[in-house]
Amino acid sequence: MNNGKKRFGYAAQNVLLIVYAVFALFPLIWMFIISLKSDAQVFTTTFVFTPTLANYREVLLRSDYTSYMVDSLIISGGSVLVSVLVGVPAAYALARYNFHRKEDLAFQILSFKFAPEILVVLPLFMIYQKLGLYDTYLGLIWVYQLISMPLLIWVVRGYFEDISVEIEYAAQVDGYTWYQIFFKMLVPLIKPGLVSAALLAFIFAWNSFTFPLILAGRNIQPITVAITKYLGTDTAHYGQLAVAATVSAVPAMVFALCIQKHLVRGLSFGAVKG
Amino acid sequence: MARIQLENVKKSFGRVQALNGVSIDVKDKEFFVLFGPAGAGKTTILNCIAGINLPEEGVIRFNEEIVNLVDPAHRNVAMVFENYALYPQMTVYDNMAAALRSNLYKTDEATIKEKVHAAARMMKMENLLERLPSQLSNGQKQRVAMGRALVRTPNVFLMDEPLAHLDAKLRNAMRTELKEMQANLGSTCIYVTHDFMEAMALGDRIAIINKGEIVQIGSGDEIYYMPCNEFVAQLMGDPQINIVPGKITEAGGAYVFSFEVHGQNITVSMPEDKELQAKIREAGLKAADMGLRPQNVKYSFEPEEGYFKTTVYSYESIGNKSVIQADCGEYQLRMIAPNGLKVQIDQEIYVRFEIDHSMFFDPQTKEYVSRYDEKSIKAFAMEQEVS
Amino acid sequence: MAGLTLKNIYKRYENSGKKKKKQQNDYAVKDLNLLCEQGEFIALLGPSGCGKTTTLRMIAGLEDITKGEIFIGERLVNNLHPKDRNIGLAFEDYAMYPPLNVYGNVAFNLRAKGVDKAEIDRRVREIAPLMQIDDILDKMPVKLSGGQKQRVNIARAIIREPELLLMDEPLSHLDGKARQSMRVEIKRLINKIKCTTVYVTHDQLEAMSLADKIAIINFGVLQQFGTPAEVYDDPVNEFVASFIGEPPMNILETTIIREEGTFFFTFADSNLKIAVPSRYYSVVSDGFRCKMGVRPMDVLIGGEGSKGTPEEIATFENLGDERRIGIRVGDMLLMLITEDEKRYRSGDIIKLEVREEKTHLFDIETGNRIREQA
Repeated sequence: MNNGKKRFGYAAQNVLLIVYAVFALFPLIWMFIISLKSDAQVFTTTFVFTPTLANYREVLLRSDYTSYMVDSLIISGGSVLVSVLVGVPAAYALARYNFHRKEDLAFQILSFKFAPEILVVLPLFMIYQKLGLYDTYLGLIWVYQLISMPLLIWVVRGYFEDISVEIEYAAQVDGYTWYQIFFKMLVPLIKPGLVSAALLAFIFAWNSFTFPLILAGRNIQPITVAITKYLGTDTAHYGQLAVAATVSAVPAMVFALCIQKHLVRGLSFGAVKG
Repeated sequence: MARIQLENVKKSFGRVQALNGVSIDVKDKEFFVLFGPAGAGKTTILNCIAGINLPEEGVIRFNEEIVNLVDPAHRNVAMVFENYALYPQMTVYDNMAAALRSNLYKTDEATIKEKVHAAARMMKMENLLERLPSQLSNGQKQRVAMGRALVRTPNVFLMDEPLAHLDAKLRNAMRTELKEMQANLGSTCIYVTHDFMEAMALGDRIAIINKGEIVQIGSGDEIYYMPCNEFVAQLMGDPQINIVPGKITEAGGAYVFSFEVHGQNITVSMPEDKELQAKIREAGLKAADMGLRPQNVKYSFEPEEGYFKTTVYSYESIGNKSVIQADCGEYQLRMIAPNGLKVQIDQEIYVRFEIDHSMFFDPQTKEYVSRYDEKSIKAFAMEQEVS
Repeated sequence: MAGLTLKNIYKRYENSGKKKKKQQNDYAVKDLNLLCEQGEFIALLGPSGCGKTTTLRMIAGLEDITKGEIFIGERLVNNLHPKDRNIGLAFEDYAMYPPLNVYGNVAFNLRAKGVDKAEIDRRVREIAPLMQIDDILDKMPVKLSGGQKQRVNIARAIIREPELLLMDEPLSHLDGKARQSMRVEIKRLINKIKCTTVYVTHDQLEAMSLADKIAIINFGVLQQFGTPAEVYDDPVNEFVASFIGEPPMNILETTIIREEGTFFFTFADSNLKIAVPSRYYSVVSDGFRCKMGVRPMDVLIGGEGSKGTPEEIATFENLGDERRIGIRVGDMLLMLITEDEKRYRSGDIIKLEVREEKTHLFDIETGNRIREQA
């Protein structure tokens, strides 16, 4: 009874996993294929075609692509950095201290993620105009905190709560100052969670479209907004669009691959006690 | 090495009053035990001494100097936490070296190595020095936690239920090991526990604490033989002391104690003890609770002179001996028996009290009045203490 | 009719990668044979990872059996689903159904089976006073104490009137006094309902006080199956001898020497000499190496005229009801327990004697008991 059933079970599991993998990766593969096709062949062929690097030359070398990438990197990287510098101490405070209406405050921070961007962006546009923050790095980094900070605080708070407070007491009794304890003991322990939350925040910031579209103009054009340029007035250069999209996915992939081992440990580490 | 004093310390957390005026005076180099049930405030006292909690009222002195405003790092205490609080990302060696590497105690690596190895040898864990805390069992973590404290030469060692999470076998073995190490500690030690065996075996003096207040302070023998009230009497001793409610009446100079068993009145004559009888007269005690330890309750399975009848509620082993619980209607009696007896539940059993080993409590206040041989027991306890 | 029979049970885990201990041979349970009479209470006792829970789960049907047969009563149950085996389970993590009150929890299984309401009510009201839960029938699980939850757990298991009751470390989440009183209650309950019971624990005290017979398991292999008195007084090997009994039996490596016709146990790095009981004379010789076992309560302080060796006390613990003295013998601590009122201090000298009939010999290699020739 057992062995036959089990073998069938394993085979079925593997087939399902392969199907799912193909399903998940297909858009990426398809985009990559399109990026190698000339405009003529985009609609006429599927998998068999003559690959060409013309699209890559056009986008990467002849347009302002690199400046768009740089803009994206500055805003996304900057906003994650600010979120980390502000969010980690905030998470510590929420984890360790008890103050009046603490949970209300925590919920309020989380609620920033509930509001759809399109809802808040128009009032923000008017405020930014008045403040002179329209089309500035500072303005965008600031507004991106709505995207990156709640996630970071929520995850890192959980990690701080998992560290038993007695470890801090032990370090105090051993003669360490609060700063030493925070940086030498606590930060290494929350590193997995911090890194994984930072990666997710980076990806969300990188993909953000509405904020840079409305709150930035000609000076700052991150890649998400700039890609729309490739939808020309007469024709859509799908090949070039595909190149822009594929290459813009690369930084996030590189980041994720680099911190891969921290990521897996980070997402499950705090969950299991002992 | 330090004399530690707490004077009328009060501490509350929000609306909960954890410590309600605690005063203790721990002599230099004394092994002082804080004993009480869970939630009594023992950990809070340790935290106040370490400087982790600040009391609202009251004064804490190290060697007569007030240290209320001194932060934990500068008090020079070494603490063993109940859940060990080992630094998870450091090896056992680094955990033990951590204190010596801090800015306050900056020690060179050679001395650190010597001290860590000496402590590891004392705790018999030299082979664990390169492991991480996550690779250790509970018993091993406990040794590391203690080793981390022993590396230091503090004013006082504070130990918070260090043996609590070990299984019975390991707990007994570690307690004996601790006893052996006591002489080599070289410093005042304040030890918290809710296990009376640890308290009695290890403490020079024991402070019983309940609901944030000190109930009694004394040597193990003092507290065991002359507990200040029924609560303390029930805390010390396993199986628990028997408390029998009854009446004391005098008839022509001779005293008798009468009590109920399944509704029937039983009367037992009380052997003569002039001091005891004087105290009973002084207190005007008519109704009294008699306290008698299980080893002073005798039983028989045949009816005998002087034995009264009850039924067996349970018979079970507690290690090297067994306990028979007898049902007397309103209360139950516990008595010691050897292992391996053939006893049926609900069978008849005949019981006799060795009244000349009993103590008496006031049934209203639950406080201790007196006991048999009080004077000689007091002298005996004194003798033990002086040495 | 036997209540439960296990014949040549083997269990091996596939993909044992993450499983706890690396057993020799990779078998979690090896050639286990057990016969439990109808109405008997047996305990499966052993250290963590020894295979006792695995065995219980195989009996319950929650694990597959690699080889061997399990009979509940007369029926072979190897391939039966747990629900068809007519067993009651009371496991460690009681897992009560949170939205149901105590009554609902206890009645759950009967309702699922379609037993009619009046019958369910009758059975619940019959069981409730036995487990002392009649006053909490309408309470919700979240308001119950650990001890109460455990009682409801057991009530839930026995209301099905099963042929076999299985309990896996039910008292491990309780502490000190709660544990002691629950033990007493379980004993009284089993005495009343007389259901064949298999109880898994790593606490030898629980096994000794509750069970009619104890099966001691180590590394998946049955060491000894006997009554509490048998495993206490007549252990079959060193493992059983040191596992049963608190404080544990003193087991010391010894070399036997012959002095003028008398054999003595001698110990490395110590002057201690203990006379070998005469019944072992036929199995020992001068220079014979073995292990000597004697329980702390069978080690005695010799009086004035004692011929025992004077030894220095290393530790003295006064525990109120008894006193425990530790003597250093080489690198081991020999423990003795006495009810003598005399108080000692470390460094005092006492003379040691042992109760001859309670001294055991164990083979130095295998740990098996060396028995005297009849």
